[in-house]
Amino acid sequence: MDQLTSSLAPASVSRKSVADASSTTALGSVTKRLTNELMTLMMSSSPGISAFPKSDGNLFEWIGTIEGAKETIYSGLKFRISIAFGPNYPYGAPSIKFDTPCYHPNVDISSGAICLDILQDKWSAVYSVHTILLSLQSLLGEPNNASPLNPDAAAIWNSPTDFKAQLMKHYRPL
Amino acid sequence: MATAALRSQVQAKWNEGFTRLNRTEPGISGLMSYTEAWNVAQEYLRPRNIGVANSIQGASPETTHGEPELDESVDISQVKTAFDLINRSRRLPVMLEVFLDAVADNFHMVVVDIQRYLAQYQVDRDPETILQLVFRLVEWYRTWAPIEELGPTIRTAYTLTFQTRLFSALPAEFLGGFKALCASSLVKPSPHTAQMWASFETLGMADRYEGIVATVGYERIEHYIHETYAKKWDGQILPDLRKWMSTNIVPWMLPMYAKGASSTDDARSMLANVGARFDFHMNKTLCDLRTSEIFDIIVDYPDSEGALKDLRECLQRVDQRATLVQALRRANHKRLLHPGADTKIILQQYVATIKCLRIVDPPGVLLFKVADPIRRYLRERPDTIRSIVANLVGDDDGGDSLVDENDQPVPLQQQDADNFNDPNWDPEPVDAGPEFRTNKPSDVISTLVSIYDSKDLFVKELQVLLAQRLLAIKEEDNTAKVDKERRTIEILKIRFGEAAMQVCEVMLKDMSDSKRIDTHIQSQKPSIVHPTIISRNFWPALESSDIIMPGQFQELQKAYAKEYTVSKPDKKLRWLPHLGTVHLELELRDRKVDVDVPPLEAAFIELFSQKNVWTMEELIAGVGSVDRTAALKALITWIDLGVLKEDQENVFRLLEVEEESGPAPSRSVPMAVEEPALTAAQQQHADQMRLYWNFIEGMLTNLGPMSLDKIQSMLRLAPNYDQSIDQLAGFMAAASRSGRVTSKDGLWMLNA
Repeated sequence: MDQLTSSLAPASVSRKSVADASSTTALGSVTKRLTNELMTLMMSSSPGISAFPKSDGNLFEWIGTIEGAKETIYSGLKFRISIAFGPNYPYGAPSIKFDTPCYHPNVDISSGAICLDILQDKWSAVYSVHTILLSLQSLLGEPNNASPLNPDAAAIWNSPTDFKAQLMKHYRPL
Repeated sequence: MATAALRSQVQAKWNEGFTRLNRTEPGISGLMSYTEAWNVAQEYLRPRNIGVANSIQGASPETTHGEPELDESVDISQVKTAFDLINRSRRLPVMLEVFLDAVADNFHMVVVDIQRYLAQYQVDRDPETILQLVFRLVEWYRTWAPIEELGPTIRTAYTLTFQTRLFSALPAEFLGGFKALCASSLVKPSPHTAQMWASFETLGMADRYEGIVATVGYERIEHYIHETYAKKWDGQILPDLRKWMSTNIVPWMLPMYAKGASSTDDARSMLANVGARFDFHMNKTLCDLRTSEIFDIIVDYPDSEGALKDLRECLQRVDQRATLVQALRRANHKRLLHPGADTKIILQQYVATIKCLRIVDPPGVLLFKVADPIRRYLRERPDTIRSIVANLVGDDDGGDSLVDENDQPVPLQQQDADNFNDPNWDPEPVDAGPEFRTNKPSDVISTLVSIYDSKDLFVKELQVLLAQRLLAIKEEDNTAKVDKERRTIEILKIRFGEAAMQVCEVMLKDMSDSKRIDTHIQSQKPSIVHPTIISRNFWPALESSDIIMPGQFQELQKAYAKEYTVSKPDKKLRWLPHLGTVHLELELRDRKVDVDVPPLEAAFIELFSQKNVWTMEELIAGVGSVDRTAALKALITWIDLGVLKEDQENVFRLLEVEEESGPAPSRSVPMAVEEPALTAAQQQHADQMRLYWNFIEGMLTNLGPMSLDKIQSMLRLAPNYDQSIDQLAGFMAAASRSGRVTSKDGLWMLNA
């Protein structure tokens, strides 16, 4: 009986540990990549964009802040976004949405979903949090009115006064 | 009504009693002779008044010495016969009882005498009076004592009664007098001393007052040690002290503790016990004395080595280790670990403490306990590392080096884990604390370096210090000084290891390479510029400067740089124009000025070759950008040399013709702080914090206000973050002073 259990026990343990090890190494490499990205982001001094992990224990969920670039209609407005990285990052794009309501042709006003090509089919592993944030910042000033998520916004984009009124109606400061 | 039985019983008792007293004598003649004998014995034993001594001082003990005086009328043989008769009648116990009662009844006579002597003692305070009293008491005792023939029982009973009465009658003042008497006999033996001890013995005082006698001995020892050996630490005194004990205390003890010893061996064995007690007391007194002086003993080390060896011996006899630790910790706290003490002094005292306590306690338990607060304090001092390192490279000229010149430099010892195969393993001493490590007596430098967790800090500081020293080397004595530094580095290599010293090696190599390159370039195209070329990556961060050297200096630099690029095409020369010195010869209309000045001064005076009057702002603009304080300092150098004059505030004029130095321009010169040419380790620390600031800014931007704890834990995401929460708090406070963050309810937030 003893012999039986002792011969069984290590086998089950080793199977489990192998599975653990493979997933840890995979997660470990993602964590390492994210740590490096955080370091790069912190060291780059790009005005108006920033992001940081939600907690020190979980690097897979970040919170970001994007400030509208100067001389755009979004100038001076700050938007909070949440970024969630999948375990297959950077081979799969992170999912990103606006937490602050953003009246924008390519942003869904209620869900905060974003229509941006590099976050969908055009995603590549060479992009990073930093480049995503920069793309989002430029998207604010230069929407892609051809594929709007918010058709109303796309419709009035060319009349800045009306657009600004709508934008400020939905905007909530941080 | 008495029954017949009772009557016959009484009859029998009576007959028995009568027969006992009358013995076999006819009639009642036996009874008569018994009565006579009783009376004789009674009269003989009656406690007599020996009369009032005429004068206390005059009462010589000699006169009463010997057999107690008896009335002339009493015939001693008759008395003996009487006692014999009483004894035969078995009435001796009754006789004794009556006698003892008589002693008690008459004791008031003795009491009167005691009071008289003590009253006298109150007046003159002379131990001699007490001695007289003692002799007088012996006289009383002897006078009343029954003759020897009565046997020891009666004698003992008498002695007991007399002593009981005596001790109950002696008032408290007597004890003081008695002590004084003993003490006086110890200091200055008088001819009566032997007799005095005998008298004490007779009166039973020796046993009863043994404690007092011992106290007298102890006090004498204490007094002697404090008088003779306080603050004398140069030699071991224990042997001398033992000798003193055997010549002074032991003879005094002999009559008291070795009474009745027949031989020397006998006496020795009798003294063994009490001698050990006195020896212990001697050790304890010395130990207490040295413990109270321990801080100064350490200050005096190595002149106080003798005292330390004594202390070690004493501590083996007396368990005062904890007291010693406490005393030293208290002294250190009070006299050493305060802001008024120089770090160098603290380090020196720490090193001395290490050496001293190693003498006292080789395993190092005491040291460990004492050193802990010092080490913790030193860790908080900002200049500790610098002091240690300065000492390592022989930077201070004081000569009080922490390191003994004779010490062989040895590699730093790392605290290694327990070696379970060590054949010389000893258990930890019993009073070792839980943190205690039985480390082999390591050298002083290892101990100092181990104040900090890593030696990296030292290596960094060493680099900074070496850089400063190398840059301070003037052209002329280049080789000799560089060689000296090289020697120092070689020694340090032994301590810190080759790898740690590699950067220093490069720095030294740069120095010699600079000279070689310079010689080469000079041979191609002679120049008066002799730069020291340093490898940017290996030298500590040098403070950069925005000075642009004007005029001819600029030309010289450019020419030299060009030549350098020719010989080393893959390298680029970046000037640090604010470092170094310039030798100038100024040719003015009426005089020549020949000076060595820093580059900034040279730059300013170069500007004056363009025009004669400049304002401060123009001058600063002329050399690029420079701190106003530094500029003013440079200009004042020239004013002091009589080359420039400040006509009105911030307007300077070149004195082509020397002017009588008029009333010194009243200008409050801000004390120009001597700027360190190098960013020291602290500056590097600040750089590191700047990196962390980005992280802090990032988290506060995105996650909103946070508590200090949260920031600290989030900073774990930053690479190599190793600051303590206290350091972080300090940094945040600094950031708040510079207006970047604010704190509210314990939460930190960014200022918009």
